Order: sequence, then structure tokens, then C-alpha cells
Amino acid sequence: MTSTKKSTSSKVTFTSLTPNNLGTVRKLNSVLFPIKYSEKFYSEILLPEVEDFCKLIYYNDIPIGTICCRIETKDDANHLYLLTMGILAPYRSLGMGSYSMDVILQAAAAHTKPKINRIYLHVQVSNDGAKRFYERHGFKENGIDESYYKKIKPSGAWILEREIQPSHSEPN
Amino acid sequence: MTPTPAKRALPPKESSLPKTADQILKKFPEHGETLCMKGLILTHMGKREEGLELVKKGVRLDLTSHIVWHVFGLIQKGEKNYEEALKSYTQALRFDKENMNILRDAAHLQTQLRLYDGLIDTRFLLLKLRPNLRQNWIGLALAYHLNGNLAEAKTVLEQYERSLKNVPDYDPEQSDLLLYHVRILEDMGELAEALTFLDVNAKSRSIVDRIAVMETRARILSKQGTRADAEQAWRALIQCNPDNTSYYHGLFRSKDIDLGDVKNADRSETLLLLRDLSVQNPRTITPKRLELMVASVEGFKSLANDYILCGLKKGIPSLFADLKPLYLDTQKRAITEELVDGHRRTLEEGFLPHESSGNVAENQDSDVPTTYLWTLYFLAQHFSHTGQHSRALSLLSTAISHTPTLPELYTLKGRILKRLGDYYKASLAVNEARLLDGQDRFLNTKAAKYKLRAGLIEEASDIFGLFTKKDAISPGADLEEMQSLLYLTEEGNAYRRQGKLHHALKKYHAVRKVFEEFEDDQFDFHGYSLRKFTINIYLNLLSWEDRLWSHPAYIHSAISASQIYVQVSDNPSLTGAILSTGKKSASDEYDKTISCPAGLSTEEEKKAKKKAKKAQQKQEELKKAATAALTNEDKTLDPTPQRDEDPDGIKLLTNPDPLERAWKLLSPLLRLSISNIEVWISIYDVAVRRGKYLQAIRALNYAKGLDASHPELHVRCLHFRKLYESLPSSSLASAGTVISIALEALITEKMTLEAYNAQYLQRHSASARAALGAARGLQILNSPRDEIEGVVFGTLNPQVDLPLKVSPCWRFEPVCELSAIHRPRLMCGHS
Repeated sequence: MTSTKKSTSSKVTFTSLTPNNLGTVRKLNSVLFPIKYSEKFYSEILLPEVEDFCKLIYYNDIPIGTICCRIETKDDANHLYLLTMGILAPYRSLGMGSYSMDVILQAAAAHTKPKINRIYLHVQVSNDGAKRFYERHGFKENGIDESYYKKIKPSGAWILEREIQPSHSEPN
Repeated sequence: MTPTPAKRALPPKESSLPKTADQILKKFPEHGETLCMKGLILTHMGKREEGLELVKKGVRLDLTSHIVWHVFGLIQKGEKNYEEALKSYTQALRFDKENMNILRDAAHLQTQLRLYDGLIDTRFLLLKLRPNLRQNWIGLALAYHLNGNLAEAKTVLEQYERSLKNVPDYDPEQSDLLLYHVRILEDMGELAEALTFLDVNAKSRSIVDRIAVMETRARILSKQGTRADAEQAWRALIQCNPDNTSYYHGLFRSKDIDLGDVKNADRSETLLLLRDLSVQNPRTITPKRLELMVASVEGFKSLANDYILCGLKKGIPSLFADLKPLYLDTQKRAITEELVDGHRRTLEEGFLPHESSGNVAENQDSDVPTTYLWTLYFLAQHFSHTGQHSRALSLLSTAISHTPTLPELYTLKGRILKRLGDYYKASLAVNEARLLDGQDRFLNTKAAKYKLRAGLIEEASDIFGLFTKKDAISPGADLEEMQSLLYLTEEGNAYRRQGKLHHALKKYHAVRKVFEEFEDDQFDFHGYSLRKFTINIYLNLLSWEDRLWSHPAYIHSAISASQIYVQVSDNPSLTGAILSTGKKSASDEYDKTISCPAGLSTEEEKKAKKKAKKAQQKQEELKKAATAALTNEDKTLDPTPQRDEDPDGIKLLTNPDPLERAWKLLSPLLRLSISNIEVWISIYDVAVRRGKYLQAIRALNYAKGLDASHPELHVRCLHFRKLYESLPSSSLASAGTVISIALEALITEKMTLEAYNAQYLQRHSASARAALGAARGLQILNSPRDEIEGVVFGTLNPQVDLPLKVSPCWRFEPVCELSAIHRPRLMCGHS
């Protein structure tokens, strides 16, 4: 299937988020996720330091998905937390999610200010497909947060995480 | 030379020393020329009134000085008062016949005023005085040309070219001049000479515009009828730019084939050649699109299949707009529908349809979702176009749940809702598209326009404001300065629908101002184009300016404003009613119900007032800043932008002579033989009320030539006949016989007006518009109310064609007053 993947990636492009295309992100979130995101969410994904990790995904020049992260700093380590990642239903199974995930992982590995040590996320415990997707991309389960979701059932969420290896040699 | 008048001559000291005007005037307060100079300087400094006063005084004091008249002319020219300016220049020339500056200015004024006889004299004199200046030759040739004397223009050019020495190579100015020479020869019909001239100068590289050479060559060869050569020339052009449709038309014309109307005998040859061209130019779709136009119904299907699929896979948003012209052939329309709906079904099964040529593309499955999306979009446009709006909307809702992020889906939804008459929901849909991409000015403008259509003027202004200059008084003020005709007409219409006729007039007059500016703008080119030798494009500009006022936006505004003026003239109490309540009253409830949700208007008023106050403050600030900047800046001769004395159009509405104002708006349209019948109806309405009966009936006869059965015309015919019969013959004087002859030409039937009206209704019984015309006819004839209502309600019969657009006609006054109960029924129509 390498040829499909190649033809897919040539049709996929990414755009950084701006106040002007935020309406498209809102529209996508409203149909992709069962949660209504707060205004705080929308102001955070516009911050310049997360520009490499918050993207609109275009396919044949039409916005069909989004991927958003934030940077969390704990004990001198920087973690990338994957807030949202979604592709519109008709465009799934075309390799776009994997391609987007790779793009974000590469961006994380290449990032220096700050250096990213780890990426992690929550997946609702009922969502086996999503879990398998992340495991294919090197994520490992690291426990369950039993009461992660307040308004939807089941309320539990797996915590999935992956170490990030810097893609460049550090000057000594 | 006439001796210098005593009071003009200054002692040598004063005339040679660089004294300021003030110092001179201290000693010689009556010195006209100095007064004028001082006035001119003051005007330049922005002290317009004072300056003008001084100049006028100066002219009075020294009527025989060319300087005073020149200064006076300059000031009038600055005020765009070209007629008066030319008079002053003519005076100036009487006292200084060979003043180059004055002559040149006079020539520009004569061109602006299209006084070509005088222009020839002026240009001739200029050339005689300075034959070594190149532009003087061209000026004279152009003057002859504009006056219709091509032969003289040609002679002048020939003389000029003979006198030329040492023209540098590749000189673009010389190149344009030579092309102009060819154009004159071509217009004179001297094709062989034109061609030789073109070829010689193209070969020597004196004409540097290669495309212009090729196009001119191809055109002249075609006119000459030298087929083989013409074909060669058009083919060469297609090689250069295979996307230019007109080249293909040219090529086929050289074979006696009209691509727009191919005869059966020529069809297969035409298609074959188009196919050839398509193979030779694989990157263009132009010949493929032409094939679709030429193909017979039988051959159409497979060609259309490939063309449409290619567009859907590529995701070309304009595919439907591209193909729509083919729908004139209903069979092609049916085939298109069948094809695209077939694709939709294939795609719904998860496959990608493929082209008839059979090359099943490998691994293109990934294109399925977007191809499907564009297929739905195409079909929605198709069904809305064919009047199946609910089917179109349901396809769109499928598309929106498939991919909710494509703005086109929402704008189309808005357009369909608009066609259904739901302006409010339409505006919501288009606004949704805008929210998806805040950077897109097209979406922004569309969203604001739809708000205006829905009567949401404030909201529209806020949306416009996202893209207008932040330091403008208001978004509208910036758009007015940018000469946005769309904004001005739409906002004018919105105000008019709300009955705020003063605001509406304000916008319509702003449209007129834009066109006045367009007309003034050409002035600078009379000099510039000669200096820069851009002759051909300058001639195009002049003929564009000659038809300027026939622009649809001007026509619309002129008609709308004059309808308001007529309304006010017929019912002067209207203005008081509008202005005292400060809001609606002239409009009926109908508009309000669709335009704004109930209960909003008072709040809206308050908001508007607040906004107006803010705008005023801003304007004052800007004015202060402007005057501060003015003190040491040259303001040129253009009058400084004055503060708007009538921001709400109240003075326009309360003008004591509304008909005169209306006439001023309509009169530029009189000599342009415009084919829009409403223009002539409006001309009638205003002329007849001004007592200009001959003008009125001539307008009706012109309208009759355009559409003899038009309902508005029918109403006017009745109106005029009735009026004419009531006029005492003495009031018509000598025009009486002319009018009665014209009237006979207008209404040939010898019957009573009642019978005439009944006959009209019977003839056009299937048309709602015509029925309403007949109902208004009954009104004019003072028929009983129930009879009028009978005709109006007759339009609700299922066999009557009642287009949605007719619905504004339901503002039929007696019905509205009497039959409020029926109005909901009327408003729904039977859509």
C-alpha cells in the first residue's frame, strides 16, 4: 500500500491556525467530538509556541481534520499533550491520520525551544480503534484515569504515552 | 499687439523685482492680474472662497488681460465646470492667440466636452506653432479621428512619419503609434494597405507588441477573406495562448463556420478540428469545452462525461457555471443531469467513475470523498437552476454532513434560500460560510450583501467593517470612497425597502457621484496619453466614457431614485410622515416582516443614533486634523472635500423640486438608446409630471419598440390616453398634433380604454405581472374596488405563472388597505 500512502500524502497539506480559520476548527470540532470546547481551548491553540503542533489538515484543498496539542512543563521536562485529533468520517482509512501523526511526532522530535521529552494523551476506554491507532505509532498504555470524562459515559480514559527522541545531535 | 492698458502697466521696479503680490497690491490695489494671482495662490492654500472672490474682482478690473481669464479658467476647471472653463479660455485666447499653455488646456477641455470641431482648430494651431513636438502631430490626427474624419487623420500620420528621423529601435511609443496607423487604415477598410503597413513595420521590429501584431494580422486577413493565410494566423495565436476562446472563433470564421451556430453539414469537420487542437494543446480545456457546445445531442454524452468527470475529480468549483450555458439545449441539460446523477450513485457505492476512454486510473480510490462532494455540489446547483429547490437543498444537506467545512456549500445554500424568497435564512447560511474563513473578502462581501438583502443594515455594516479602513468615519464611508457600487446600491435598496427613503436617496446619489468621478477622471488622460503615446488604449477609454452612464449600477440607481422622487412629488405629505416618525411609514408591512424580526426596530433606532453620534465625532476629529495639515500644504485646485451637510439625505428628500432632481438623474440616459425598458418607463413618469408631454410620449413609443406587451408600459399607455383626453388643447399649443400622431402610433386600437384594458388582460391571462398591470389599469379608470381585487386574486389561480419576484407587486395599495385578511395568502403565493 505504499503507493496509496504516497499519493495520499501529496494531496494532504497542513495549515497553521489563525484567528481567521478558527471558525473551521470550531466547525470540525463540533462534528468530530462529543465535547464542546471552551474559549480557553481556542485561545491556547493560537499561541505561537504551539504553532508546530496545532494544525488544520487539508485534503485536495478542503479542510477535513484537525490536530491540536499543548506544551506542559513538569519538573524541568516538557510534555506535549495531544488535546484533539480527528478526521471527518468520509476521509478516514486513507492514511491521513497516520500521516498527520507522523508529522506531529517529527515536529516534536525536531523541536528545541523547548526540547520535547514525551507526548501523551487520553483515549476513552470504549474506543479500542483509537487505542490501536496510537499503539501503532509507538504509544504505550500507562494507566487509566477512571473519572476522566465528567459528562460522557464511560467516564474512564486510558493514558497513552510515547517518548520523543531528538532528531538532531545536541551541541555539547 | 494692442497697447498695454495704462492700469495694467506697472512701473519697471514693480514688474522686475520679485515682490510679493501683497506688496504690489499695497501700491496698486486695483491691479487685476496681481489680484488674480493672489486669488490663485489663496485657492491653492485652501482658502477657496476668498481666492475665488479675488479672482472675480481681478477679472472685472482687467477684462482684456489673458492672464486674468486664464486664472479664472484654471479655477473653473478645478471645479470641474468644464463648459465655463472653456469660455474663459476662449476669452484668454482672444487676447493672446498663440499661448501654448492656454491652447493645450483648451484642447483638453474640448475633448472632455466632445467639441471635436473646435478641437481640430486648436490642435491645428498647436501643430502650426510647434511642429517639432511629436505629440502635436498625434493630437491633430486624433482630433480628426474623433471627429470621424479618418482620411485626414491618416494624412497627418503619414506626414508625421515622413518627417521622422532617427527613431530608436524597439521604441514602444513609436510602436503604439504605428499600430494606431494600422487601426485607422483598418477602420477605413483599406485592408491591403493596412496589412502591408503592419507586416513591414513588424518585420523591421518597429512594432514591438508581438501579440498585437498577430491579432491584428489575423483580424485583417479574416476581413480580407484570404482564408489560408487567416487560418494560419489564427492557428499561430492558438499556439501562443490556447486558452483564449476568441482565437478559436477566429479560426473557424476563416472557414466560414460560426462556432456559436454550427450547421449540421459542418459539424463533424468542426469537431474533428477541435479534437486535433485539443491533442496539440493537451494542457488546455478550451477546445474540449467548445466541443461540448458544437456536439450534436448524440455525440454530447461521452464528451460531456469526460469533461465533467475531469472537473469533478479536480474539484473545480466553477464547473457548473462553466456548463450552464449549454442548458439552453434542454436535451443537453437532461443528459448532464443523467450523467452527474449517475456519478453520484457510483460514488455512493464507493467507486470512482471513470472516463469513457477506458484508462481506469490506478489507485485513485482516495479521491472518492472529494469527488463525491463536488458531485453533490454540482447537482445542487443543477437542481436549483431547474427550479427543484427542495431537491437541491436536500443534496446540500447531505453534502454538509459529509464535509461541513467547504464554504461553497453554505453560499450555495444561501443563494437557493434567496431564490425561494427567504432572505433572512439565506443571510444566516452565507454568514456561516464567512465564519469558516475570515480572511476571504469575497465571502465577507457576500455575507454583508445578504444581510442588506435581509434588511439587517447594522449587521451588514459590522461585517463590511472587518475589511474596511479602520480610521474611516464608518465602513460605509470607506466603501463609498472606494467607489463600491455593490455596497451603495444594495444599501440604498435596503433603506428603500424599509421606507427610509431619505437614506436610500443618499446612496443612490452617491452612485451618481461615483460616475461623475469616472467621467472627470478621463480629463487627465487627454494630456497624459498624448505625452506617453498610449493612443490605442486612450481611444478605447474615450469610447468607454461615451457609454459610461449606461452602466447597470447607474441605471438602477437613477431609476430607483426617480421612482422615489415621483412618489414624493405625487404625495408630498410622505416626506413629513417619514421624517417625523424617523422610521418606516412609506413602506408597507410586507417588507418589514421579511426584513427584520419584530420588535427590533426601536432598539435598532437607538443603536443607529448612537452610531451616528460617534461617526460625527470622528468626522469632526478628522476635520480638525485636516485643517491642521492644510495650512502649509498645497491643496491643488480641486475643491477640498466639504463636510457633508446632509448625511441622512433629508435635504434630498425634502427638495422643493423632486421632479427636477429626478430628471437630472435620468437625462444622461436619454441619448444612449438603452434597451432596458424600465429606463423609458421612468423617463415617461418624470416627463409627464413635468408637463413635457412630447418627451413623455416619445419615451413610451421607444418602450413599445422594446416590449410592446410590457405591463408597466400598458399602465402608462392608459395613463397618458386618459390624461391627454382631459387636457385643454390650448395647453399643448403647437405640440398638440405631434402628440396626437405619436399617441395613435402608440395605441392603434380604436376602442374605449376599458375595452383596451380588458383586451390586454385577456391576451396575457397566464402572466401574473400582466394581470397586475391590468389591475392597475382598472385603478386608473376608477373601476370599482371589487373588480380590481378580482383581477389581483385571479393571479392565485394555479394556471397563472406567478414568479416569486413578482411578490413585491403585492404592494398593491387598494388590496393592502382593504383586504388585510388576504395578505398572508398573497404573501405565500403558491410557491
